[in-house]
Amino acid sequence: MTAPTRREPLPQQPAASGAAKLVIPSVIGGLVALTLGLYGRLHSPTGIAVNIAGFSSPGSVKAWLATLATVCAIIQVVSALVMYGKIPGVTAPSWIGGLHRWSGRIAFLAAVPVAIHCLYALGFQNYSTRVLLHSIFGCLFFGAFTVKMLILPKKGLPGWVLPFWGAVVFTALVLIWLTSAYWFFSTFGVHR
Amino acid sequence: MKRNTPLITLLTGAALGVVLLVASMMQTPVKKPAGYSSTATPTAASSATSAPAAPASSSAPASAPASASPSATPYAAAPAKATYAGKSKNGGATVAIVVYNGQVIAYVCNGSTIDAWFSGPASSDGKVTLSGKNNATLTASYGTAQTTGDVTAHGTNFDFGVDTVSKSSSAGLYRATAKVGGDTVKAGWIVLDDGTQIGSVEVDSTSANPSAQRAPRLDLATRTATYNGTVLHAVRVSSVTGSGF
Repeated sequence: MTAPTRREPLPQQPAASGAAKLVIPSVIGGLVALTLGLYGRLHSPTGIAVNIAGFSSPGSVKAWLATLATVCAIIQVVSALVMYGKIPGVTAPSWIGGLHRWSGRIAFLAAVPVAIHCLYALGFQNYSTRVLLHSIFGCLFFGAFTVKMLILPKKGLPGWVLPFWGAVVFTALVLIWLTSAYWFFSTFGVHR
Repeated sequence: MKRNTPLITLLTGAALGVVLLVASMMQTPVKKPAGYSSTATPTAASSATSAPAAPASSSAPASAPASASPSATPYAAAPAKATYAGKSKNGGATVAIVVYNGQVIAYVCNGSTIDAWFSGPASSDGKVTLSGKNNATLTASYGTAQTTGDVTAHGTNFDFGVDTVSKSSSAGLYRATAKVGGDTVKAGWIVLDDGTQIGSVEVDSTSANPSAQRAPRLDLATRTATYNGTVLHAVRVSSVTGSGF
């Protein structure tokens, strides 16, 4: 999706078929999701983890970081649409690639501490539908994100591949947000 | 620099995750709380003073197995009146168990999103199994100076061995309920012997899956706390007077 990365030539790699280029990243992404899920299920959750100062509770820290990630993800979708020329009348400005890359990096880095707290303190749980969906999508998100990052520098893939994985990552993140931060804010009120 | 930046992004995130995971592990206490291992094996005499409300069946210590049980001398039946409170072994949650005339009220919370209330008959064989909302379960074996067991709340399991609290202090379990907006708010505080206070508040306590967050500080002098502008009046769940039962 990031145009500048595509322009540069990859080091001489044996020409792999499009399928092979997708299979290895997909397997790695699958392993990432599986590893997170297994760790979350098998590790005995502690109920505590490192906390970030300035917030009333780990829950509110996580809700705000997840919201930051989700806002960045919306920027991701919009900037991707602009880059692909899908928004009529808008030509992609030169900085759109940078915006796309940096909003993605911020979203990912904001999501990591949230996920670590989930995995370490709370674990993969199924005591309610919300919690089960959140656990599943949380694992899938990082798997899908890994796939997207790994296939990003590869050339010669069908044009739909990156938008597809971008959409999967975005959808997973929004579902995570709805089953956590949205629930948190609507249950406890919007506060620090 | 323009090498494989997506891979760098991934590795940066992974490294951040590992750092946070290690930091969390270092923060989690691994040592068991004092008094859990052999140190708290009272003699029959001292157990009588530490739990003066022990029932007639407290002759149980004599018949207790000599194989140094890790906890204090177990009861053959539930104590008539007792309050136990303390941290779980990993420090992640705090547990209070209050027994009064055949009834038990127990509460576990982490001062944040994990909490569960339990109540029921105190049982007749010294062991009790209770269940609460959000699929919470608690099993415990009463002892003269300590109750051991494990509790699962919000899918998280905590082993505990909690001691009787000093009767002269304000240590113990407090509970407040109030209507705030359309919801019934239910707050619980566990006060330990050293004055530490851990509390959570369920904002929708009547629902099947209540959601908890950190409770406002309980003023022990007035037994009040202010939650979103509403004053909560707490009741002590007391094994001495039976209030709160």
